Amino acid sequence: MAYKPQFYPGATSVAENRRKHMSGKVEKLRDISDDDLTLVLGHRAPGSDYPSTHPPLAEMGEPDDSIRQLVEATPGAKAGDRVRYVQFVDSMYNGPSVPYFRSYNAAINFRGVDPGTLSGRQVVEARERDMEQLAKFQLETEMTCPALSSLRGATVHGHSLRLPEDGVMFDMLDRARKEGNNIVMHKDQVGRPIDKKVNLGKPMSDEEAAKRTTIYRVDNVAFRDDKEVIEWVHRVFDQRTIYGFKPMNV
Amino acid sequence: MSDSSRDTDYLQLEIYPGRLLNPDTAEVLLNEIAELDGVIRFFVHGPRIPKTVPYGPATGETVNHPSRRVIMVAGQEMDLEVSVGGIRLEVTDADVKENIREICDKLLPFSYEFREGLFIPTTQTVTDYAKRGPDADPLLLGMTDPKGKLRNKPVCILNKKDSE
Repeated sequence: MAYKPQFYPGATSVAENRRKHMSGKVEKLRDISDDDLTLVLGHRAPGSDYPSTHPPLAEMGEPDDSIRQLVEATPGAKAGDRVRYVQFVDSMYNGPSVPYFRSYNAAINFRGVDPGTLSGRQVVEARERDMEQLAKFQLETEMTCPALSSLRGATVHGHSLRLPEDGVMFDMLDRARKEGNNIVMHKDQVGRPIDKKVNLGKPMSDEEAAKRTTIYRVDNVAFRDDKEVIEWVHRVFDQRTIYGFKPMNV
Repeated sequence: MSDSSRDTDYLQLEIYPGRLLNPDTAEVLLNEIAELDGVIRFFVHGPRIPKTVPYGPATGETVNHPSRRVIMVAGQEMDLEVSVGGIRLEVTDADVKENIREICDKLLPFSYEFREGLFIPTTQTVTDYAKRGPDADPLLLGMTDPKGKLRNKPVCILNKKDSE
């Protein structure tokens, strides 16, 4: 029988959502055009060519190498794109994703990405077109709520703060605002004004965010409620401690 | 050093809303509180909102945050430099405390924490001494913005003429 990855233990909705994020089998909720994505990322002008940092690999005459035969270069690497980043911030008030699961999603489902996992933000560096592919995937699917998640290249403050009255995660640079029923970005991810407003779609309701979140919270699904997760976390901690201290006892 | 400490029986309170208040809600709430008899002093705190982007590739760009605006409290202009996340007060007695709780119940559309404790320093620190000198008004103790510059008037004094 072929191996089928299980990804994450647990029987609660949070555990199920974590499995979805890791496997990449997430629901698409909105459409964001390529030009809009380029605008909010702020690395190049929409519609312009990808600037390159070296000639296409096909023209470089690389030496023959067994690893090059085994691993095909990503489209960005083949074209010689620059390495660029996308950085997400998720509110701890039932934000749909968390830095660890954005990183798992990137590392498991995308090639040539370098995810960086921090306490309140998550950054992915990759060749520009590869990074855009990942950013589009994470922005368009249930991994992102426009109100509870945000693209923030600089000044990420907000993930652990109480939500403002309108429910849009605090941002001291005011990159996104609620206009009517939609969240609209009028600055790029580092806070520079952009030429046109980018509609990120409708925010999730409180109930939907609680249903789709990957965060255990005592006021939603408590970590201690997930017996199987607790059991495996204990097992991992126990065994890695024993292996590090007295491996002969295992 | 002269003594600029305050040794009183006044109560100190904190209102800690479940959400960061927008300026309109904060304005109404602060005005109702300011009109009460028995409120000695209060200040607001919360995450800072800069006028310009402080760092990163957009350094120096104007922010224009909707939460950063001038509100009118007790007939005076108050330039909000923070998103209002909490209000700390000093009041004369427990009756005033209950009045403030009623105002919060009436005006805040979400849950809030309301607690009594020690939130405003009662003794001046070396920094206070360095900033305001030996004969500082004890009422201003703990009322300045620790990150504010003196030239930017880091404290807004309401009804000063009345108290004199």
